[in-house]
Amino acid sequence: MSGIESINARRRPIVRLGVFLISHSLIVSVICCIAAILALLLLPVLAKSTYVSENALMPGSANTMLSNQEVSEADRLVKDVNALSLESVDAGINIAKLIARYMADLGAEVCYHKFRRQQNQFNPLHFFLSTDPVVVQRNISCSSFGVNTVGVIRAPRGDGKEAIVLVTPYNSSRIDAAEASSLGIGYSIFSLLSQVTWLAKDIIWLAADSRFGVYAPVASWLKDYHTPLFSGLGQVNAGVCHESNDLLKLKDAMVSDTNISKIFTRAGTMAAALVVKVVDRHNEADEDTLSIFAEASNGQMPNLDLINIVNYLAVHRQGLRVKVEKFWSLLDSKFLNFVGETVELLGKVAKSLNPNWRFGMPVAEYVEGTATLASSLFNQALGVPTGPHGAFRDYQVDAITLEISPKGSLKSMGQRIDFLMRGGRLVEAVVWSVNNLLEKFHQSFFLYLLTSPSKFVSVGIYMIAFALLIAPLPIVAASLCSDANRRDSSLSKEGSSQPHASADEPNPTLKSWRWLHAAKSVFVIHFWSSLVTLLPHFISKMPSGTSASSLLIWLSLCILSLFLLYTILGSPFSHITTSRPQEWAILKSVTVSAAFIGLCLMSVINFATAEIGALLIVPMCLIACPLKLDLQDWSFRALIRAASNLTLVLIAFPPATFYLLKGGIEGSDSVSVGNFWNWLETLWAWNSATYLYIGMVHLPCWVLCLNILLHPR
Amino acid sequence: TMSDPEILNKKNKKLDFWIWGIASIIFRIILIYFPKNLNLSSRPEVSTPLTNLRRLAEGYWLKQSSISPYAGSMYHGSPLLLSMLGPLTVKKIEGQPNNLLCSLIFVNADFVAALLIRATGHYLQTAYDRSLELLGISTPLGRSEALPSGEIAALVYLWNPLTIVTCLGSSTAPIENLVVILTLCGACAGLAPLAAFGWVMATHFSLYPVILIIPVVLLLGFGPDAPPRKLFIQKKFGKVGMDLSSDKSLKHKEVTTLRVSPMHFSWVNIFHFLFWACLWSIYVLLLCGISLKDYGGLSEMFRRTYGFILCVEDLSPNIGVLWYFFAEVFEFFRGFFLIVFHVNILFMILPLAIRLNHRPCFLAFVYVAISSMLKSYPSVGDAALYLGLLGLFVNELAGKLDILTNAGDMHFSFFLFCGYVGVFLLSPVMHNLWIWRGTGNANFYFATAITYACFQIILVVESVSAMLNHDRFLRKLSTTTTTTAGIS
Repeated sequence: MSGIESINARRRPIVRLGVFLISHSLIVSVICCIAAILALLLLPVLAKSTYVSENALMPGSANTMLSNQEVSEADRLVKDVNALSLESVDAGINIAKLIARYMADLGAEVCYHKFRRQQNQFNPLHFFLSTDPVVVQRNISCSSFGVNTVGVIRAPRGDGKEAIVLVTPYNSSRIDAAEASSLGIGYSIFSLLSQVTWLAKDIIWLAADSRFGVYAPVASWLKDYHTPLFSGLGQVNAGVCHESNDLLKLKDAMVSDTNISKIFTRAGTMAAALVVKVVDRHNEADEDTLSIFAEASNGQMPNLDLINIVNYLAVHRQGLRVKVEKFWSLLDSKFLNFVGETVELLGKVAKSLNPNWRFGMPVAEYVEGTATLASSLFNQALGVPTGPHGAFRDYQVDAITLEISPKGSLKSMGQRIDFLMRGGRLVEAVVWSVNNLLEKFHQSFFLYLLTSPSKFVSVGIYMIAFALLIAPLPIVAASLCSDANRRDSSLSKEGSSQPHASADEPNPTLKSWRWLHAAKSVFVIHFWSSLVTLLPHFISKMPSGTSASSLLIWLSLCILSLFLLYTILGSPFSHITTSRPQEWAILKSVTVSAAFIGLCLMSVINFATAEIGALLIVPMCLIACPLKLDLQDWSFRALIRAASNLTLVLIAFPPATFYLLKGGIEGSDSVSVGNFWNWLETLWAWNSATYLYIGMVHLPCWVLCLNILLHPR
Repeated sequence: TMSDPEILNKKNKKLDFWIWGIASIIFRIILIYFPKNLNLSSRPEVSTPLTNLRRLAEGYWLKQSSISPYAGSMYHGSPLLLSMLGPLTVKKIEGQPNNLLCSLIFVNADFVAALLIRATGHYLQTAYDRSLELLGISTPLGRSEALPSGEIAALVYLWNPLTIVTCLGSSTAPIENLVVILTLCGACAGLAPLAAFGWVMATHFSLYPVILIIPVVLLLGFGPDAPPRKLFIQKKFGKVGMDLSSDKSLKHKEVTTLRVSPMHFSWVNIFHFLFWACLWSIYVLLLCGISLKDYGGLSEMFRRTYGFILCVEDLSPNIGVLWYFFAEVFEFFRGFFLIVFHVNILFMILPLAIRLNHRPCFLAFVYVAISSMLKSYPSVGDAALYLGLLGLFVNELAGKLDILTNAGDMHFSFFLFCGYVGVFLLSPVMHNLWIWRGTGNANFYFATAITYACFQIILVVESVSAMLNHDRFLRKLSTTTTTTAGIS
């Protein structure tokens, strides 16, 4: 004993701390997990108010210049568009022509951008290889193409190297009043900006044809914008689609109108992009509301400054009510209300102790903040962009969607003009602000979660919860490893009294290299999981099949391939020898390390996924212990452990998690078997890293935990 | 005398080696057909400005159009490599991936390197067995139970993901690694001309292997790795002191066996080596001179290859630590810090050579690891090389011989493994975050680089201390055997 103490005394403090943590791994992990969940619940309290950190932006420093003249012009456009849509069922190209004419009348450079509908493809490596040019699809159907109309105003004070993009999506096959008024807002700004002298960045107005969804036109325009092919529309047309009726019309339009450029018009690099969308909710709201959508693919967010200025201008200048998405169902949650009350109480106590401590917040605010935070976390975790702004983020352009909904009806002219004026002034002020920028947005945060339009949690704070959650993993791995080694060496010391005992072992020990076997089985499972991740690619190519049948095929293939791999490469149970009782501990140690690495990686790629995943994986990994041991023990603690093990493994099985969550949120009758498959399909169609996470981190970890539970010793 | 099952077992193991070796080749060839999907050649971890094949193709193209291949700071490799691989980069076979021929050459280079590692392992193992026998040390398990380190090292080299990635990533690193291994193999086998050839070529290709001259000289002088020399002296004098009365013939035998033992330094081999090294370098320089006759000659070559390496001209990010530092440092101090960084490697050479002089091959491993940590344009190919060499010492480092005391056991092996896996997965993600997404910055990527450097340091420190522990253990064992021999 004294020998150990003397060794400890000689060690450096940091090593001693490490040894202390490892030897008390159980208590450390319990404390860390509880602290992590507390930190997560406290995030809304720790949120800071947003502030504009880039001085050059100066939001609201100038008075808006949008006047009645531009707005009434815009209203004329809205009326024309509405008339066109009433005229024929499929107004199609006529609307594009109309917009182009209006643009050209303002003296802007106009061009059409034709794009084809593109099937989103499953490309698991997309995340790392975003530089690759996208493979052109071979089977193009001639009917499925859309036409964007692009107008560019050259800045009088600019050098043509930078641009601000306005996007107004409209559905050309079925345009409604709301979409028409979003075109109206776009036009009012555009006409104003074509006259002003202060513009230092070019303005691009993209009237995006959203008949194939709002994302596709913007994405394909951006792709063409950034891929200098130098081919005009004529060359694109030279393909197979000569007979297409609409295309002929388009050609006619181009030939007849000399103002419309035949080549793809470009401006400079994009400083920012605003997607303006009008939604007529016919709702009860007593004021115009503005919803901000910011999540791009894989949880990327635009620079916080952009949201800040929009929020500032909308609230303080235009008097709009600004909202961000939240989970409404969470607002009635009893648990959250309870936590909120506790927080409020704590805040009061803190304030009574020292009036300077500003801790705590009202219950309602807390619950609302949590609901918003949860929605923000969920949208980021999904990795699917929440609007066309997501396409811009892939080119490192900061973009958000402004969804404006009017308080009254858009049918009445007075209200419509008032609404156009408000929306237009907001966009104008934002453009003015962005126009002031000297550099790219870089001052403010890129990694944050919103708890309200004016409050955010930055990466430095939300990382704490995650770090606390995964901190026990390496500690537990080290402690299991060292425990197993110690037991082994004590065993071999006992054996050393009879020197040939150890020689009987079929596989002479390599002491600290014993983890190699466990690492092999972990590798086999990970290899299997990467196969499983690729399988849906082939299953989705099979012609027949509903989503439910595809899911069943997938599951059966998974199980089949797992057993095949076990027979070929050996299962984790194939190396069990009687002399080594701690085999499962080593396996668990390697599993936990693999989970740790996976979670760390994912936290860099998409923090929100890692956070939600860690909430599932970490407890499962930490508790995992062979059921046989627990059942042999037959003590209360062992039974509790076995029961919690079983529940966790049931809950963390990816489809089970999905169905439980879906059932919990939307009610149990909305759940059907195929839902999971459909959900995964959207994930991979959007190239979400979450899909890879589920397939290559979560699933193998789950299988390994199952293996540990079923371990014979 | 071996029993039949043992012979059978050995045969099986040999067969296993060939099966796995050939499987690794097939695996590589399959992967060669997916170059677009993997896009490895553009990864900064895989190809450096020195080893990138695309740069080589550019250099070849320049030379074909009668411009100096070094024009425009594209190519920085050897002119010999240019004439060897250059024609292959232009040749395109219809329907086959680009650079198929070069890739096949790299696959071959990997396989030959693995075979050389295996041969080196055999030399090392037989020599080690002999010296243990000389010392009279019998291990608890006996040598027949020892792991076949050559086979293990070769398979580790072949199946190491880093080697595979380097091989597929169109970088010339496999050839550089091959000549380094050739040097060590030649030196272990005592073939001075081969060792000299490998050394000259390796130095010519990438400069850093120049420090391998110390292990090579030690290898040729003393022979392959052996227990500390002091033990042999003790053994000899202990025996002599004890057995004065024993008969002469036995003593004579002892002396003759000790002649081939690590006690004796063979100067002849060294002169042989130096002579051949001179000859080979003159030959290489002559060839280079002919090749660059119209483009500035040898001085241009030295300036553009060694100068480029030593002056760290290219500051594009890689997994090393120098680019970040020299991007930050003021121009005024650049020269000073260049010297500091390079002297860092040189400082470590002598102490290590003194401490590990009885284990020259292990010393070579340590040198390679250190230079891969501190070199100006490191890539994963360097890691592949030293991890392969590490496999040669599996018996010593895994505590295989001293199974009871567990003394020579390498600590933190699992920790290191996890660290390497983590770093090599994290590095591309951080790079993506910085370069493509724009949400991170250079510090993100540099963080992985510095973590990698730390893991390399831990690896070197742990392996060296495990080796020294193993020596201590041998000393203990040898003293007990001599005393027991004396008592009996």
